Amino acid sequence: MKTVILQAKGLNKSFSAFGNRKTQVLKSIDLEIEQGDFTVIMGASGAGKSTLLYTLSGMDSISQGEVFYKNEKLTNLSEKKMARLRAKEFGFVFQQTHLVSNLTLFENVKLAGYLAGEKQAEEKAKELLTQMGVEEVMDHMPHQVSGGEGQRAAIARAIIGSPGVLFADEPTGALNKKSSEEILNIFTALHQKGQSILMVTHDLRAALRGNRILYLEDGQILSERRFPPYDAKQDQKAREAQLNERLSSLSW
Amino acid sequence: MEKKILWKSGLKRHQSSITGIFVLIFLVTVSLSSALTLWQCSGSYIRQEMERLGYGDMTVWVSGLSDVTPLTEEINHLSEIKTVGVQNILYSEYETNEQESDSEGQLIVYEPEKYDYKILKDNLNGYRSAAGDIISGTIWVSASMQSMFGVQIGDTITFPIARSGVNKSFTVTGYFEDPFMGSSMIGMKSFLICRADYEDICSSIEKSGADGLARQGHMLHIFKNGDFSASKLNRLLNESTSLTQYTEFTHSFDVMSGFMLTLQNVFTGLLLSFVAILVVVSIVVLSHSIGASIEMDRKNMGILKTLGCTSGLLRRVQMFQYLTGMIPGMLLGVLASVPVSIYLCRMTVTTTGLLIPANIPVILCGGTLLLFLILFCGFIWLRTRQLTAVTPMIAIRENDVQAAGRKRLPIREKPLSFWLALRQLESGRKRYIGVFLTAVLLVFIASFMGRVNSWLGPRGEGLMDAFNPAGLHMAAQPMGETGIEDVEKTIRSYTAITDQYALAMPTVSVEGIDYTANVITDPKRFHMLSGNTCNGEDEILLTEFVAADLGVSIGDRITVSGPKNSAEFRVSGIYQCANDMGANVGLSRDGFLRIGEDSLNIWCHHYFLENQELSQTVMQALEETYGGDVYLHENSWPGLYGILSAMKLLLIFLYGIVLVFVLVVTRLVSGKLLMREQKDLGIYRAMGMSSRALRLSFALRFAMVSSLGSLFGVLLGIFFTDPLAALILRMEGISNFSSHPGILTVLLPAVVVTVMFTGFAYMASTKIKEMTLTNLITE
Repeated sequence: MKTVILQAKGLNKSFSAFGNRKTQVLKSIDLEIEQGDFTVIMGASGAGKSTLLYTLSGMDSISQGEVFYKNEKLTNLSEKKMARLRAKEFGFVFQQTHLVSNLTLFENVKLAGYLAGEKQAEEKAKELLTQMGVEEVMDHMPHQVSGGEGQRAAIARAIIGSPGVLFADEPTGALNKKSSEEILNIFTALHQKGQSILMVTHDLRAALRGNRILYLEDGQILSERRFPPYDAKQDQKAREAQLNERLSSLSW
Repeated sequence: MEKKILWKSGLKRHQSSITGIFVLIFLVTVSLSSALTLWQCSGSYIRQEMERLGYGDMTVWVSGLSDVTPLTEEINHLSEIKTVGVQNILYSEYETNEQESDSEGQLIVYEPEKYDYKILKDNLNGYRSAAGDIISGTIWVSASMQSMFGVQIGDTITFPIARSGVNKSFTVTGYFEDPFMGSSMIGMKSFLICRADYEDICSSIEKSGADGLARQGHMLHIFKNGDFSASKLNRLLNESTSLTQYTEFTHSFDVMSGFMLTLQNVFTGLLLSFVAILVVVSIVVLSHSIGASIEMDRKNMGILKTLGCTSGLLRRVQMFQYLTGMIPGMLLGVLASVPVSIYLCRMTVTTTGLLIPANIPVILCGGTLLLFLILFCGFIWLRTRQLTAVTPMIAIRENDVQAAGRKRLPIREKPLSFWLALRQLESGRKRYIGVFLTAVLLVFIASFMGRVNSWLGPRGEGLMDAFNPAGLHMAAQPMGETGIEDVEKTIRSYTAITDQYALAMPTVSVEGIDYTANVITDPKRFHMLSGNTCNGEDEILLTEFVAADLGVSIGDRITVSGPKNSAEFRVSGIYQCANDMGANVGLSRDGFLRIGEDSLNIWCHHYFLENQELSQTVMQALEETYGGDVYLHENSWPGLYGILSAMKLLLIFLYGIVLVFVLVVTRLVSGKLLMREQKDLGIYRAMGMSSRALRLSFALRFAMVSSLGSLFGVLLGIFFTDPLAALILRMEGISNFSSHPGILTVLLPAVVVTVMFTGFAYMASTKIKEMTLTNLITE
């Protein structure tokens, strides 16, 4: 039986906009993320996918409910503890690379290593950037590299501290097909090594890489589907068909 | 209409910058208008009051005349003289609140029909509606007696009339304005009494004969007939009348008003220098703000250009945007300067002795502010010219491009906040120029003020040295039969005398013009400015003022007349003595004996004590032992403390303005930086950096830049503060400004400014703590 590492109970999130008008983005969501799972959250634009990701990771506040990481209630954590948790236990990959603009790719990764308390941060950063295939541009500034190279550096940055969960928000959303494929391969490789991943996407090809797919609509989890772990050697047509069928039934 | 939309949105977006500019311009305007008001009103009011109260083109204080009429007739007979006014006075030492005067006071009969002095309310914040009469036994004094002797209504002032113990005591019942002797800058003080008391004292003087201490005299207000100089008038009176036989001292109208204005002019000079620095700081801040706004709005401006907006329109919108902060700042500043000026004028009443009216000089202030406005507008127009280079596509496509390809400082693990701060500075150095320059200028001005304060010294030694021809710890001048040996014996029973010399101050006439001669037994004591001291008996020293007045320089020969005869002297050097607005010459004892006669009681013996702290105790002991037979004074005069406290208040005010400036500049720069770095800060936090570490790193940037700026400010201060202060003080006859500051005076402003920048930056960075990470969310 797998261990639950991240759990949401009755999670609500609403925004106040235009005076008193409130928009409820997440509605009483109960969710458990198990260790080693590659969970994908799908949904139409505005369904609340990214909001769910950020509230689960403590990046955004919640209006009601509770979120637990390894049985520790995130909503009770101080700003300092939350920062420590982000540095050591969580890794983030965004749609835009979101690399610190005045640090090189190497420095971005190394800095995350320092914050995570990695003893060999410099060596590990170089190793990861080499693994990601961006060793040649590691001394470049973010604006000097392509989106794919930047995103690979961002993944290296996210995993340098060996996080408990890797959160990814549309990581291929701003990339071309070739770069998207490379990034998704990296995610698959990480998952195969046991990395827990929680990814938001509306891209079917990206979603296929997950072994658990959640469908979100109007702030609620509408459906859930589990698949065997992704294997690039196997034919993915059946998996794609099943997913397509499911999405069609949800009027996608 | 489009201008209005853009202007409104710009105002909203750059609200904090506009507010910051408003505050800076407000402070500049308040300081400027107040300084100009004080300067203008002091000058005109003092001259106006002197004219109203009958001070002539030259006023001569005379004594030893049983009847003044023959002398005034003699003067009136000269065709160059228009008229002579006479005020009867009594010269007398006085004592109040257990303090003795170090100059003779002048008791004047209150004759409102002839000399209509203004009588202040007891709380000094206005004038009495009806002056009333002075009752016998009561006296009206100058308001500066408060700061000089702590005199309050109800206190007693005693005048020793004769050695036999005949004293006359008065109860203080009012304060009056004397536009000359009212100032604490002037040692001699005037007192108003009723005619009955005046006659009573005259009768006591007559009865006392040779034992009389008080003396009868007159103030002669001489008005010239024609347009010629005061020196010429003085020469004419000395050569054509018997006036010199009775003269105690002579002052021209300009010298008197100049003397009265010394303090105000020094203060307003300091304040105006400060305002000049604030204007430069405001321009620096404005420049930074415009640059940062254009950088932030570059994309929007590209879009607006795509829509058809011209560069001219965008520049005009920027101009209106800043003028929205500046014009209300100026208007409110002018309004606020009214109560500030009133407060300043009331605050200085116990120092100047006058309630200077705080009427804002509308034309002067308006003209100066208009000049500033034109300067600022021109600057904004120049600074926004970079908008013409913004092409729509470049602006829209342009990302945050960091300099590439050059060697960068490393990022190390510990201390991470420090290394990150260094990197931010390195990659965005021009964004910190405002902080750097502000630190340079504010440290410079704070250091300037600190040096002036340090020069003044805790006991006003600097000012005393400027006014005294030579230094001293204490001085004693036997007036009666007491020998100086006895005085010195008493002094030595308390502390050793390490050094001594004697000084006499007779009046001499140089090329027909009266000056005070500083005759010294040890000429090397003179505070020399240039040339050599007057060691030879045919050598004389002049102050810069006298040299300019006579049109002579070192090496020239001049004729000096003394009580005995006249002789020719060679000008051997220029020395410092601001007493009597610099109307002094310096002579050696041998030099003086060529034209005057020696007498034991003309010499005041100046001493340097081994333990200077004991000077007060020693003087008290001498006072108790010898009473009125020995005239005593130290390197101070009662009015000095009023000046020192006014200087302290000015310093507090200026440091307060520096504090507000640092706060505003920090908030402006921080606001722009935080807005610009919002995304990076979010990323740092997403990576697990605590907001505390980020705030620390943010504040460290300001610490680094401001400490570097402060260092430059200190260096600038080392080279330029003394010349600048000397320039201001030179206008008031003080030529020897040299601050000799301690390490603390030099470094304290730098440390304070750096700490303020760092602290305020840390406070401003609270936004980092409040910043949510949702700006990273794409959805």
